[in-house]
Amino acid sequence: MKIKVIINGEKKVLDIEPHEILLDVLRRYGYYSVRRGCDTGMCGICTVLFDGKPVPSCSVFAARADGHEITTLEGLPEAKEFAELLAEEGADQCGYCSPGLIVNTVYLKKLKIKKMDEAKIKLIGNLCRCTGYEGQHRAIAKFLGVEK
Amino acid sequence: MIKNYFRPSTIDELSELKIKTNGYLFSGGTDLFVKIRAGAINTDTVIDTKYLENEELKIENKKLFIPLNTTYTELRKFIKANQINPIIENIVKTIGSPMIRNRGTPVGNIANASPAGDFVLASYLLNASVILKPSSKKIPVEEFIKGPGKIELEKEEFIYGIELEILDDYKFYFEKVGRRNAMIISIASIGLLIKEDNEKIKDIRIAFGSVAPTILRNKEIEKSLIGEKIDKNLFKYLANEFFNLSSPITDVRASKEYRKQLVYNLTLKAYINLYEKVVI
Repeated sequence: MKIKVIINGEKKVLDIEPHEILLDVLRRYGYYSVRRGCDTGMCGICTVLFDGKPVPSCSVFAARADGHEITTLEGLPEAKEFAELLAEEGADQCGYCSPGLIVNTVYLKKLKIKKMDEAKIKLIGNLCRCTGYEGQHRAIAKFLGVEK
Repeated sequence: MIKNYFRPSTIDELSELKIKTNGYLFSGGTDLFVKIRAGAINTDTVIDTKYLENEELKIENKKLFIPLNTTYTELRKFIKANQINPIIENIVKTIGSPMIRNRGTPVGNIANASPAGDFVLASYLLNASVILKPSSKKIPVEEFIKGPGKIELEKEEFIYGIELEILDDYKFYFEKVGRRNAMIISIASIGLLIKEDNEKIKDIRIAFGSVAPTILRNKEIEKSLIGEKIDKNLFKYLANEFFNLSSPITDVRASKEYRKQLVYNLTLKAYINLYEKVVI
């Protein structure tokens, strides 16, 4: 079956199988920033923006994306700035979870969130198993312009 | 493997598809597709309820109506905008993660009928009714949910919405014990509502999650406490009663002995937090 979507601002018609999950379709079409983590919606690694809101793409039925707008890390110009901050603060070790965290943090910037406590609550669904989060929190604080 | 995907737009169409295909209904799909992938559910047909023309969230006669397809995020926004008391909000904000709340729905939580379902616990506390279509039946949630994953639904029926009481002037306590901050599936949880009159109980509702085949609530005990003085002894009595009434299982998250002890401890903790000092 075919679905019409807008991915990163571009209108696309995607050919999908009825059983497919959005995560698999996005990867098949070359959006490799969207990575498979736990595959159960728990880790946040596969986060994309669905009509502007963060969702785990591993738990979205691909057919349901028909007529909707999807933004992956590739479609977020602010991603690079945050990625550099993550590197600066030593917040990447294996780096596997970074795309999901970046998508969600850029979303927080759009919401103009400037309080660290609020940011932490909103990012509760993005797991990192390497860093212990300290470096990430420093990078997030810089990126969002958290007031001290 | 899923071979068929349907998008009914009317109640009758949905009902007919359900009879004909025996397919699984979904809205957000945050639960269904995980189960399908894990092999826990095997179906060749899924039916998307999102395209159904249905009603909006609304308040009528001090009751909140939540239709199917309303997500947790939408519910929270509505509660904030309409300044509904924070009981539901306090429970909903602990469900899943922000990403899951953007997709998952309260009606889906009721349909799954897990004894660990946090929204199920909220619905028991707020004397919820489940509204079915096309029959238009209205069933109290504790009669609708028969056991873990078991609900009272005819072949042609589906859950159209739920209706919860909106309460004022109640003291409220909710806590769930889990192993991490996000995506907690509770090991045990407690929800407590108390309306007072001169330091005595005017109304009390107490419910526990994950410690019995369904949410544990006992209206006889609640009724027997009306007029009683609120003190630690009363809560010790309650803790004992519910310790005995609970019938948890041992699973990957915790043992049944630990869960029973949690029932006792959480009951006392609720009292201490509400009436003595806040402890974490």
